[in-house]
Amino acid sequence: MASLQIVDVRKAYGPTRVIHGVDIAIDDGEFVILVGPSGCGKSTLLRMIAGLESITGGEIRIGPRVVNDVPPKDRDIAMVFQNYALYPHMTVAENMAFSMKLRKAPKPEIEKRVSEAAEILGLTKLLDRYPRQLSGGQRQRVAMGRAIVRDPQVFLFDEPLSNLDAKLRVQMRTEIKQLHQRLKTTTVYVTHDQIEAMTMADKIVVMHDGVVEQIGAPLELYDRPANLFVAGFIGSPSMNFLKGHLQGGRFVSDSGIALPVANAPAASDGKPIIYGIRPEHFILDDTNGLSAEVSVVEPTGSETQVFAKFAGSDVVGVFRERVNAKPGQQIRVIPDPNLGHLFDEQTGKRI
Amino acid sequence: MKAVGLRILFYLAVVLLALIVLLPFLWMLISSLKTQIDIVAWPPKFIFSPTLQNYYKVFGEQDFIRYFINSTIVAVFAVGVSLLLGLPAAYSIARFSQRRLAMVILLARLMPGISFLMPWYIIFSRLGLMDSYVALVLSHVLITLPIVVWIMSSYFETIPLELEESAMVDGASRHYIFLKIILPLSGPGIITATTLSFIFSWNNFLFSQVLSMEKTRTLPIAVFNFLSYADIDWGGVMAASVAIMAPALVLTMIFQRYVVSGLTMGAVKG
Repeated sequence: MASLQIVDVRKAYGPTRVIHGVDIAIDDGEFVILVGPSGCGKSTLLRMIAGLESITGGEIRIGPRVVNDVPPKDRDIAMVFQNYALYPHMTVAENMAFSMKLRKAPKPEIEKRVSEAAEILGLTKLLDRYPRQLSGGQRQRVAMGRAIVRDPQVFLFDEPLSNLDAKLRVQMRTEIKQLHQRLKTTTVYVTHDQIEAMTMADKIVVMHDGVVEQIGAPLELYDRPANLFVAGFIGSPSMNFLKGHLQGGRFVSDSGIALPVANAPAASDGKPIIYGIRPEHFILDDTNGLSAEVSVVEPTGSETQVFAKFAGSDVVGVFRERVNAKPGQQIRVIPDPNLGHLFDEQTGKRI
Repeated sequence: MKAVGLRILFYLAVVLLALIVLLPFLWMLISSLKTQIDIVAWPPKFIFSPTLQNYYKVFGEQDFIRYFINSTIVAVFAVGVSLLLGLPAAYSIARFSQRRLAMVILLARLMPGISFLMPWYIIFSRLGLMDSYVALVLSHVLITLPIVVWIMSSYFETIPLELEESAMVDGASRHYIFLKIILPLSGPGIITATTLSFIFSWNNFLFSQVLSMEKTRTLPIAVFNFLSYADIDWGGVMAASVAIMAPALVLTMIFQRYVVSGLTMGAVKG
């Protein structure tokens, strides 16, 4: 186990720069998730940590050692690939033993480790099977087994759940998290699914266009997004945004509706502002609420999602209560004044 | 009604195409069982008393077994050398996008074989290698190596890169990956390349005709023995041809499944 330092790391393919100076510090035993939309550079960064892509600039350190020019086989890492990359001509046991065999570990030790890993992952009965004889979820487990057999310094996961169906994905999410709690190996996990990031990570790194937008604990990112991108990316359904400006401690939308804001900075009066409010922070309030015209109502049982026109914008609200409104009807809602977010319209930064 | 008509038309076309391809073979097979007189008879005789006389001639009067052994030695070594050189070459072409290198290898194949013959003749005779297996094998490698490289480079491209990356992270070197991951997964491709290059070597006439003499003469040259200035022993030619074709045919039938999929492999990937 080891810490992992990523210092001002850059990547360019010829003149095309894809990662522009990324700094991430990962503590020993931490579970860090790189999340972002496709093409944000998260997978490239992971592959650079693995040594499968060269590093154009900056430094990657595993423990005290700079690994920039260390080939993947000497980095003492284990990686789980999106398509599992199991060796088709080897049995499950052989797949799992492969890396230890390469390191010339004694046979009894290999057997012991493989059977331990198989035990943890519930693969004991499948050890003699070939990958083609396994289901998607079982293959996924073998891929993880291959990684954990050899107690590496760092685990790398590259979108390991995206080939599984929805139900299995939720189950594996929990299993991976349990596995990490048990093994406590430093882990870097790449996903585009912000729910995976929220539920599994100790620390989330939000990436966008080759830069880090924000690093923080899941709820920190959720409660205090540093900029518009993070605010819109984290959370589902995503945050609602209204354009307008501040005036005397209240937010006034471009359509002229005033909303209460707690602790509005007086200095920002008059500046163009984007006001963000999460769907679940709308409150149904028949007396003080402002009217919103309902367009679609989606009950999920535990909650109700309401798409509506509010203060001149299309917004979505999520309510624990059952909402019986029909499309076209008016409901009265008010954003929780303590839970609104304010962003500078020009820089996109949080105020 | 229209559908049935189309169906009949379809089968007619199939039969016609099959006949065009198979008729010469059939003709060859039938002729090998006829006497010289029956072969040249006009109109062609379809009812005749079959004779094995031609086969006796091939295996008895001619040293057919030796030619057979010669052909086998040359083909096996030519294929062996091609695999030894071609598999690593094809792998690096596939993995390091050396398409230009592949073009150079193909170029050797595109040039008419006869343009190589004169230089070879001079080189091999100066080296005292005329009528040697070495000369023949090397000349056949010119034909078999490009086949191996082309089939295998497109085959290797179909093997997911992640397998190699995973092995790299697991601690394997490139050589190890090639030997323990890539080759074991390339069975069908290797069988295709082997079968095709074996057949091409087996059937090669030109190189063997010029570079071999009595000692290393191969089968296709043996057929030539039945042709003399005075007359042509058609029965002998036909029987020898059947005997030559047989091993290639058997080989193809055994590995047919792989050969067919191997041939289409490059096409689909584009």
